Amino acid sequence: MKKSKKVAVSKLEQKNYKWIYLFLLPSILIFLIFYLQPIITVFYTSLTKWDGFNKPVFIGFKNYITMFQNEAFQISLRNIILWSIIAATLHVGFGVLVAFILYQKPKGWKFTRAVFMVPNVISAAAWAMIYKFIFNDDMGILNNIIRKFNPDFHVQWFFSSPYAFWAVTITWLFYAVIVTLIVLNDLMAVPEELTEAAKVDGATGWQVITRIQLPLCRNAIGTGMICSITARVAMYEQIALTTAGGPGDDTMSLPIILVKSIQDMKYGYANANGVIMFILGLITLAVINKAFRMNESVY
Amino acid sequence: MKAKRSMALTMAAAMTLGLVVSNGTLAKADDVVEIKFPTYLAGENVGAKFFLPEVERFNEKYEGKYKITVEEVPQASYADKIKQLAQQNKLPVLVHAPGSGGIDTQWFKQVILANDMAYDLSDFAKENPDVAANWVDGSVDFCTVDGKLICKPLSVIKPVGLFYNSSMYTSDKDIKDMSMDEFMESLGDNKIAFQTAENGWTSALLLAALIGNEEGGADLLNNNTDEKLYDYTAEPFVNGVAKLQTLLENNASSNTIGAAYADAANAFMSKNASIICNGSWMSTEFDASSSDKWSNDFSGDDVKATIYPGNIALTNERNYGEFWVSNNATDEEKEAAEAFLAFRDSQEEIEALLLAEGGTAPKLTYTDDFKNKLKENRILSELSESMDENTKYVATLGDIFPASVADTEFGKLLPKLADGTLTPEEFCQELTKKAEEAKQ
Repeated sequence: MKKSKKVAVSKLEQKNYKWIYLFLLPSILIFLIFYLQPIITVFYTSLTKWDGFNKPVFIGFKNYITMFQNEAFQISLRNIILWSIIAATLHVGFGVLVAFILYQKPKGWKFTRAVFMVPNVISAAAWAMIYKFIFNDDMGILNNIIRKFNPDFHVQWFFSSPYAFWAVTITWLFYAVIVTLIVLNDLMAVPEELTEAAKVDGATGWQVITRIQLPLCRNAIGTGMICSITARVAMYEQIALTTAGGPGDDTMSLPIILVKSIQDMKYGYANANGVIMFILGLITLAVINKAFRMNESVY
Repeated sequence: MKAKRSMALTMAAAMTLGLVVSNGTLAKADDVVEIKFPTYLAGENVGAKFFLPEVERFNEKYEGKYKITVEEVPQASYADKIKQLAQQNKLPVLVHAPGSGGIDTQWFKQVILANDMAYDLSDFAKENPDVAANWVDGSVDFCTVDGKLICKPLSVIKPVGLFYNSSMYTSDKDIKDMSMDEFMESLGDNKIAFQTAENGWTSALLLAALIGNEEGGADLLNNNTDEKLYDYTAEPFVNGVAKLQTLLENNASSNTIGAAYADAANAFMSKNASIICNGSWMSTEFDASSSDKWSNDFSGDDVKATIYPGNIALTNERNYGEFWVSNNATDEEKEAAEAFLAFRDSQEEIEALLLAEGGTAPKLTYTDDFKNKLKENRILSELSESMDENTKYVATLGDIFPASVADTEFGKLLPKLADGTLTPEEFCQELTKKAEEAKQ
């Protein structure tokens, strides 16, 4: 059997390690105080009945059983699955499409890239309020345009079934700048020799895109999908400030249930919700990692 | 090398300390006892118009002895802020009573009372008999828990009625003298300013009046204020909801679906609706000084106030009053807080409040000056005169709903009732489900 060889560490390197650990200390403290400790607390208290003030009482999986039997929770899961599918296809697809268009560097492409970035610097809350006005029946621009053709048209998009779900979806659907930027970055890193060689071999533009560029951007597209889907799982402001999960439970989501549970002083139940969100995030990460073979090198 | 090492050590220490050391505030030695507390009676809240100047009057009166500084907080954030401060055991000296500012009674009982965090005001009541004499009996009874007076009871009750635009809605009889069916018939094409977003406040008021007009409805509401009501499938409730749906279908202003409070108020003050249900505090919106909010030839002079059909007014005196004092305040702070409560419940301040926001102080003998001034305020006088010895007082839905149902779930279900997606029975069942979810 071969013995593993100990790597010799010089005195200077040993000295440097001390400084490395010292400078790592703030990050480790941040992780312990602000991430690890709350995560452990959330997991533990999700198994308790807790009003957020008095001592938590251990009740096993009762919060989870109640949650899975709850209609609003079931609707939330359905909504999250639908929104995730829309995010992974239309939202990411749109972001990728814009990236490919910008890659061609058409006239004004830098300006377009900057303009495309603007919605990202507006807070989600402000964006939700803007859409609330756009979709308002009386003064909203959308209905006023529709009424030019159909004067009797009246729909309150955020407050009527089944439109509310789609109205909420529109508030984020076309804002895929993160996807665009990371895909564009990967596109620009594709060696020109590869595309040139393909063209010499007689590949069409479409073939270059589908056989060379898209596969080489799969890590960026996968990352974009992870960001988009986890953002849908954790989406709060867009819903809270427009429909609050209504009408009825039509646009209900897990963060809305979480906040409502806190309002009702059911912190244990709220944290059970948080655990489910955490697990959904991990599942998304694992599935997309696997599907896009993100741990493998693209070259 | 040494300098480099010292610098690196200092930087690392500073970064680490920056994380773990919390901010502290130094107490300022001063003869003046200063208390600071957050309030939602600020900004656009209609209550701010009276409350903030009242604090200034207190500061002037007790200059050099006590000073109150208020931290203005939006109403929607107030309850969260107080709950967080309670968790950290850093409650302000004065806190708004549960039932106001979004603070729910369930939390108050479970957290504040269970942990003895509210200061007993019994001695304050004994030491200030002239102040205690103004307190409403039902509120004193409700605020007395295990022999302790845990909140300052109400001196003023503000029965809620409705406002109507007399240039649009006319009838032979006064609304309060009609039956609910007569009223609904008298509406014709007149529109009501409903809310179907936020907490559905204006719609909830009318629904309470509708339920109160049903047989057994008033008792259903009045008898469930202490422990809250979690089942809304009783006949008076369902019947009330059925009538509300009829009104939503036939007499709702055009912007009803998705209407927040501002939309409902705007519908009334732009003549898109001729009736709005709201408390006397809205009367200031009909002063000429608020005419910038009017449109479409609306005039505040046309607005009249009355109570609901069936001679019903909405109020609940069995509640936690106005303020409570935190037990973790120092003796000096408690003294200053008590001075403010005594000041607020003095004859002058109560009468000033009534003139500003309306309502009635049942235990107070009004001065002649006050009576004369009240007559000058036409709308408040009308509302006051509309109540008589036969008036039936009914609790609002906010008094019987658990917090999340009152704050969001009721408003969220209203659009489905308005557009007919839910029948009244289904609406009541859905609401019952939501109340069950809110149970601990």
